[in-house]
Amino acid sequence: MAGYLIDPSRAPVAFGRRAVPQLFEELQQPEADRRLRALASLCDLMHDPERIYQTVNGAGFLEQLKVLFEDEDSSVRTKTCELLHLMTAHSIGRQALLSSSLLPSLSQLVDDSSSSCRRNVHRVLNRLTLLPAGADALLALVPKLMLKLRGEEDEEEEEEEVQVLLLSTLSSCSRLDALPALASDGVSLLGHKLSHRSPNIRREAAAVMMALSVCEDGKLKVCEESLLPVLVDLLHDEDIEVQANAAGVIMYTVIITTGKQQCLDLDVIPILLELVSKKEEEEEEKERKSRKALVMYSLRALTALAEAPDGRRLLLEQLPLLLRRSEAAEEDHDIRRDAQTAVRVINWRP
Amino acid sequence: MAFVSQSQRAPNESYTFASRPRPVENRSKYREPPSEQTHSNYGNIMYDRRVVRGNTYAQLIIPTTAQPDPVEAQRQQESRRRAIARKRAREQFISSTPEALQGRKHIDVQTELYLEELSDVIVATDVECQTDAFLDKPATPLFIPAKSGKDVETQIEEGELFDFDREVQPVLEVLVGKTIEQSLEEVMEEEELACLRAQQRAFEELRNNELAEVLRLQEQERRHSEEKGRRIAQQKEVLKKEKETAEKIAARAYTQQYLSDLLPAVFTSLRSHGYFYDPVEKDIENNFFPWLMAEVNNSLEKRYTARELLDTIIHDVTQKRLKMFKELETQ
Repeated sequence: MAGYLIDPSRAPVAFGRRAVPQLFEELQQPEADRRLRALASLCDLMHDPERIYQTVNGAGFLEQLKVLFEDEDSSVRTKTCELLHLMTAHSIGRQALLSSSLLPSLSQLVDDSSSSCRRNVHRVLNRLTLLPAGADALLALVPKLMLKLRGEEDEEEEEEEVQVLLLSTLSSCSRLDALPALASDGVSLLGHKLSHRSPNIRREAAAVMMALSVCEDGKLKVCEESLLPVLVDLLHDEDIEVQANAAGVIMYTVIITTGKQQCLDLDVIPILLELVSKKEEEEEEKERKSRKALVMYSLRALTALAEAPDGRRLLLEQLPLLLRRSEAAEEDHDIRRDAQTAVRVINWRP
Repeated sequence: MAFVSQSQRAPNESYTFASRPRPVENRSKYREPPSEQTHSNYGNIMYDRRVVRGNTYAQLIIPTTAQPDPVEAQRQQESRRRAIARKRAREQFISSTPEALQGRKHIDVQTELYLEELSDVIVATDVECQTDAFLDKPATPLFIPAKSGKDVETQIEEGELFDFDREVQPVLEVLVGKTIEQSLEEVMEEEELACLRAQQRAFEELRNNELAEVLRLQEQERRHSEEKGRRIAQQKEVLKKEKETAEKIAARAYTQQYLSDLLPAVFTSLRSHGYFYDPVEKDIENNFFPWLMAEVNNSLEKRYTARELLDTIIHDVTQKRLKMFKELETQ
């Protein structure tokens, strides 16, 4: 074909099976320009699962990437991280990344000087947590990530994306094991983020908080830091995901007695009842799913609150509402079950 | 004739002169007493005999009359004398030409190396020019600018011309195909990821739900068991207290019974041990009887001493008698 360089930003790709090995050989060239072009072509290729398989199983390709991490040119580093990001879209890519020794050098790059490189590294880490083993491996990184989160005080656009990525990585890791995040004083830090102006950050921060409050210490900390008023405010938020996550945190926190007391003081029962009883007919499927989550969490929170005598008294008055939800008319099986549990707990006599 | 104006110049001061322009007065050569300035006879400058005409580079010529005017000469001499006097007054050393002797006069003479011919006649040369007869103008040659740059030529060979639309089709197909293939892959990838995430999220929600339920039940269990434990402990306390009270009562009854017997027994034993005594009797016992015994002892002692003495005497006597009898025997 007449166009040897149809796209000057990409290196020419060999045919068939030779594509990936040849591009990796091109990566060893001394000029940064050619390496950049080879990386761009590789990024294009990596959308195909077969190529990913070839890369992962080829000899020493991933080790070459490790060398590229320490390259002086920041755009080369950024592109390498983007390549990894595409590779981790697939399970074999994720597993290969875990089994290779790339993770330490990757965690070094979190402190890189170029912001786009940092952003791509966070994307890679985020994708890695889709695999539970990946989240497990990243547990060791959680303190460092918490430090990063604390340091991200600027409120620019790119930094917001990085914050969102960080928070979602943290939430996946904390679901496995909440202790490292709790040890780095995660609850108070996240309490600040809960009042951020961007809904994405609020949603992710509430998700992390929910993961953290699963364990006993987390719940106690949430009560200590008096984050419950903030969470109750978030229940009125416009974004439904934020509401759902906030309801989740409350749901966990009211399990312990202190939480129950504080929530009852804040008079949270009417709000939760309102959330449960709201019924929207025309909704997209995604919204319905989020609403389902919100209703489920609210029902569970009400169930836990009904164990306290004050709560039970209040809820006895509102019993018909819940009965309505627990009827067979409710199409969602889970919600029905939750409502029945709630009714049972309310009617319990010692 | 050029009238050279003498300007009196002081060497240390600068000389300035300014006057309004005025036409030169018409005056005769031989000066008459100066009349008032008249502006009437202006006259045309072109026809003024005082204006120098012709070239001026050969002006320095000796005037034709060698004999100067005596009035002129006198006047000149006077002015010279004044100048000399002034110079002498101001400067120290002045070299000036001494005056001419009588009957002689000074004449300017060229003293340079190369003499110049001074004459009235002005050297003039005639130059004339004449155009040639007109010739036919030849044709102007074609203007060809100088060659610059490289020569490049192109030539369409046999078989090079082609129909673009037909030839471009396969290329275009490949390009579009590859782009679409790439974008389809990316879209599929994104869809897959989105599906994965949605599934994970649904799972997470259910898990959270169940986890909350589990935790709640756990907490409930814990509370109940705590409560139970407390109640049991309370019961135990109560039982223990009861038992203690019963024991105390029993102990009290027994002690009472025991103690009721105790009192007479105690009294009897005390009495038997002699703790209750009659003081007179005791006194008699303690004081009188020892004295009595001691006296009785004394007297008995005396008796015994006496008896012993007697015994000793008897013994001595018998011993002596025995000794005497023995002596008697032996004799």
